[in-house]
Formats: sequence, C-alpha cells, structure tokens
Amino acid sequence: MPAAPEKELTVMLVDNEPARAAIVEQAMTDSGYRVIRRLENAKNLTEAVNQYQPDMVIIDIESPDRDMLENMSRLTQDNPRPIVMFAEEDDSRHVEAAIRAGVSAYVVDGVNSGSVKALLQVAIARFREFQALRSELESVKSQLEDRKLIDKAKGLIMKHQQCDEPAAYKALRKLAMDRSQRMTDVARNIISVMELMGDAK
Amino acid sequence: MNLMKVNATLLHNEPVRIGFIPLIDCAPFVIAQEKGFFEDEGVNVILSKEASWASIRDKVAFNVLDGAHMLASMPIAASLGIGTIKTAIQTSFTVSHNGNGITVGNVLYDQLQKYSKSSEDVRNGVALKRLIDNREKGEPALRFAIVYPYSSHNYQLRDWMSRAGIDSDTDVNIVVIPPVKMVDALKSGEIDGYCVGEPWNSLAVEQGVGHMLVTGYEIWGSTPEKVFGVNSSWAEQNEPAHLAVIRALETACVWVDDKRNQTELLNILSHPDYLNCTVGQLVYGFGAIKPKGQFDWPMNAYQRFSGREVNQPLPSYALWVMGQMRRWQQLGEVQSLNEVAEQVYRQDLYFKAFGVDVEINHGWRLNKDEESAWLNKVANGVIRLHPDGILKGFDE
Repeated sequence: MPAAPEKELTVMLVDNEPARAAIVEQAMTDSGYRVIRRLENAKNLTEAVNQYQPDMVIIDIESPDRDMLENMSRLTQDNPRPIVMFAEEDDSRHVEAAIRAGVSAYVVDGVNSGSVKALLQVAIARFREFQALRSELESVKSQLEDRKLIDKAKGLIMKHQQCDEPAAYKALRKLAMDRSQRMTDVARNIISVMELMGDAK
Repeated sequence: MNLMKVNATLLHNEPVRIGFIPLIDCAPFVIAQEKGFFEDEGVNVILSKEASWASIRDKVAFNVLDGAHMLASMPIAASLGIGTIKTAIQTSFTVSHNGNGITVGNVLYDQLQKYSKSSEDVRNGVALKRLIDNREKGEPALRFAIVYPYSSHNYQLRDWMSRAGIDSDTDVNIVVIPPVKMVDALKSGEIDGYCVGEPWNSLAVEQGVGHMLVTGYEIWGSTPEKVFGVNSSWAEQNEPAHLAVIRALETACVWVDDKRNQTELLNILSHPDYLNCTVGQLVYGFGAIKPKGQFDWPMNAYQRFSGREVNQPLPSYALWVMGQMRRWQQLGEVQSLNEVAEQVYRQDLYFKAFGVDVEINHGWRLNKDEESAWLNKVANGVIRLHPDGILKGFDE
C-alpha cells in the first residue's frame, strides 16, 4: 500500500476539555491536517470511528473511554490501533513524550509514520501548552488565596495586639522566619487558633 | 519509634509510583498507603489514580509508573505483545480473587423469563440461547459490555455463553465500556447486559436497573482477578523496594479481609481521591446480593484478598489465560507457554519477599511436547478449569 501523502491525514479528536480541543484542532488545521471530527465525550465513540474512518484518533490519556478503542483494534486490521504498537526502537521517545504530555493516539495501519510523528508533535506541544496555562492559572489562584489568608491573619493580629498594619505584617513575617514556615502556613495557624478562641470575626 | 522500620533507608530512595483504577479491588493499595503499611516497610509510594487499563499499561510500559493494580491477564498480554508493544511486565503478588458477575437489564430479564422453566435456565444461559434463536431476522444483536478486551470479564462472559451454545462472536455484540458507566449504559438501553467487577453488579440490582444472573466465581471457581504488575526492568533494578511493596500489600490484604475493619475501609475507599462515591454504594459490593425477582437467588461475588492461596502468583493461571487468548482469537503461536508463565508470574520473588525458603513446585508445568496440543484443547473448550478454581488445576 502506498504511503498516504503527508497532508491528507484525517484525524479524529476526542477530548472532554473543550478549550484544549479547540486549541489542538486549530493547531492541526494550521499545520495542514484535516480534523474530521471533534468529540467532547465518547458516547458512540466506536460508532463514530466506524462511520468517519479517521487515519488517526487523538484522545486525552486521562479519558476513561480509551479502553473502548482498545477493543476496536482487535476486531479488524482496518481499525485504529494504539500508537504504542508503532513505537519501534527509533521512535519510542515520541511515544514516551506523548504519554508524559497526556496524549494518546490510535493509528490505522499503513499510514505514513512521518506524518503520524509530525501530527503527534503538534498535539504534544498543544497539550503541554495547555497544561502550562492551567498550572499558571492554578498558581495565580493560590497566590490570591495566600494573599487573602495573610490579610485575614494581619487583621486578627491588628485587632488583638492593637497595632497598625506594618507592625502586624512584621510580626507575621518574624513568626514565619523563626519557625521556618511559609507566611501562608503561619497565617492559617493564627486564623485557626483565633477561631478556636471564638475571635476570628 | 522507628525500631520496626528495618528498611528505613528505602524511604530516602526514589518513590515508587503505583497506578490504580478506582474499583473495590484497588483496596489493598489504598489501605497500604492510608494505614501506613508502605511506610512501615520503609518504602515511599506515590499512588496515582488512572482512568483506563490502557493508560495503566502504557504508563507502566514507558516508565511513567513503576507498577500498578492490573488485571491478572495484563502482564501476560504485554509480555506477549498482544494489543500493545511487547514490554516485559511481571507480577509476584496477586491482589484479589473473584469479584465479577454478569448482569442483564430489566427488559432482557423479562424476556428471558418467557424462555425459562426454572431459574436454572436463566442462570446457565440456556434461556438466553433460546431467546437468541427465536429472534426475528434483522433484529439488532444483543449488546453486552465488558471493561477491557484482555480481561477475565471478557473470557468469563464468552465462556458462560459458549457453554449455553451461544457464539459470542456472531450471536451477540460485545463492546467495551468503562466500569463507572456500566449501570447508566444498562439503564439507558445502550447495552442489554454486562460482565463487570463489584460493586457494579450489586448496584444495578439495588437501583432496580437490572438482575444479576451469575458470578464469575460460579463460572470459573476461585481465580486471580487483579495483580500487582510491575515493569520488569524496574523490578530488576529495585528489588528491595519491589519486595517491600509486596509485603505491605500482603499486610493490607489481611486488613481488608478483616470484617472488623469494614466501616473504616468503606469510609476510606469512598473518598474523592479513591472511588469518589458514597459508602452506601460500596457496601453492597461486600455483601450478598438479595434476590429482586422471581428467577433471582441470593448471590455472593466471593471476592477475597488474603491468604497465601490468594496472593501467591500461580503460573498455572497464566497458562489458562493464554488458553483463553487463543480461544478468543487474540493469540497466535507462542514459543513456550511454560517459559512465558514462569517469567511473567514470578513465584520466586513472592517467596523471597517473605523470606520463605521453599522448594518451588513446578508441578504446573506442561509437558514440553504437549504445549501446543494443550493450548488447542483449552481453545476448543475440552480442557476446563476445575469447578473449584485454579488451585485445583484443570479438568479434561
């Protein structure tokens, strides 16, 4: 069977994270691949694969629906098989990178392996990007939480010690340094002690 | 305080990364972590909740995880390169025996009643066979779900059907659905029945969605269900940690089987980090299933975790699994059944973990010249498991 021309590869994308799916689809379209179907959940996944016959299915590795695709690869040779089966000595690094990035893929036999690798790279890059965005968001969120905790503890100290804000902040920082704890942890302790004493208003 | 922690040095080593699927039989892993049994053995374990068996397999194969809660057939499939790239995965500890069951939805159950004279007909699949034979031409085939193609669920369901004369390849349609979605799929009519582990059978019964027909224990007798599977190259380089995990799991298995711990066990398992469900949903998985219909009877999935007869790896079971793989067209030729069974189900490390100095019994080995004939006899259903299970061997 002649290898499929590189840009003709058809892809089905299964991801319950709509934002990430959109990013990945855009990136693939930009690289000249045809995403023939984007599914947000795997209801009728096997039927969809049968109907659209994609060359490659890309699915979030954390999707519980992956096992549905595992069954398909047994039935006929034309159905997509897990990418790990294509991890020959030379390109097992690609597969490992995909797994670490949270991408799993199913590929139909006989598809040009260069295209598969290139497409996988696109997906891996976008998955990583999305992961980085998400952790950044989480870190901003937790910084905000930290700020709130410290402000609350400061308020309690000000009230209790009848001091001003800079003094309360200094006291908090000293406590943290003396105990070699994070400011947030000290703040949390102070709040819970005050709550215990019925003072955390 | 740390006098008991003879292996405390291991704690400073790289943590052992172990994956699990949120099912009742992941309990020994969760308990070993939560009750500090891993720590007592001086090993630092990071548990990682995984969403699919495929994910477990890929992550263990590519060293993202060191080991995992696995279907007993998975290390064999991986080592033979069935459905995946050939990767050496092995096991030296069986986590549980039994726990599966076959349940059908209410609609199918009502139809089965018309084709049965006694509950026995429903139970042994004869009613299902009669129903299939009487279906109109062009009617869509009944759909049964399993959780993974290389699993006891698949093999038990097909074996049960075949004993009733049903061809599981042509008479019905077998699909894969993740366990957590089984009950909903049954309720919505997407599938007509399934073979899955507890609590998904008892839950369907309790919620009035379906009826449990038979347990895996009734089909096969006592057989390994889940194992602690590890990447073989990791096991080779980290033997002390591997053996420490095995000891901790053994302690956890005893704890899990102790009825006095059940309340605490259910509380821990129901936590969002683990099964993420209510205690009420889990409790049925540990008890007898009460009859709900005229053709029902009380049942027990007979899930067991502790005792040497449960935990010891049984290469004879590896042989049986390869027989099932051949029977259902997953496996072609194998160089040596004995060798694969011995390399994948490593009894020596199990005994080494507990410092037991025993002569390993190789009585399970097949006669070298008869391996291929044996495989074919299993594939043809001529050789069967002893009705009591794998510990009693095979019947011909």
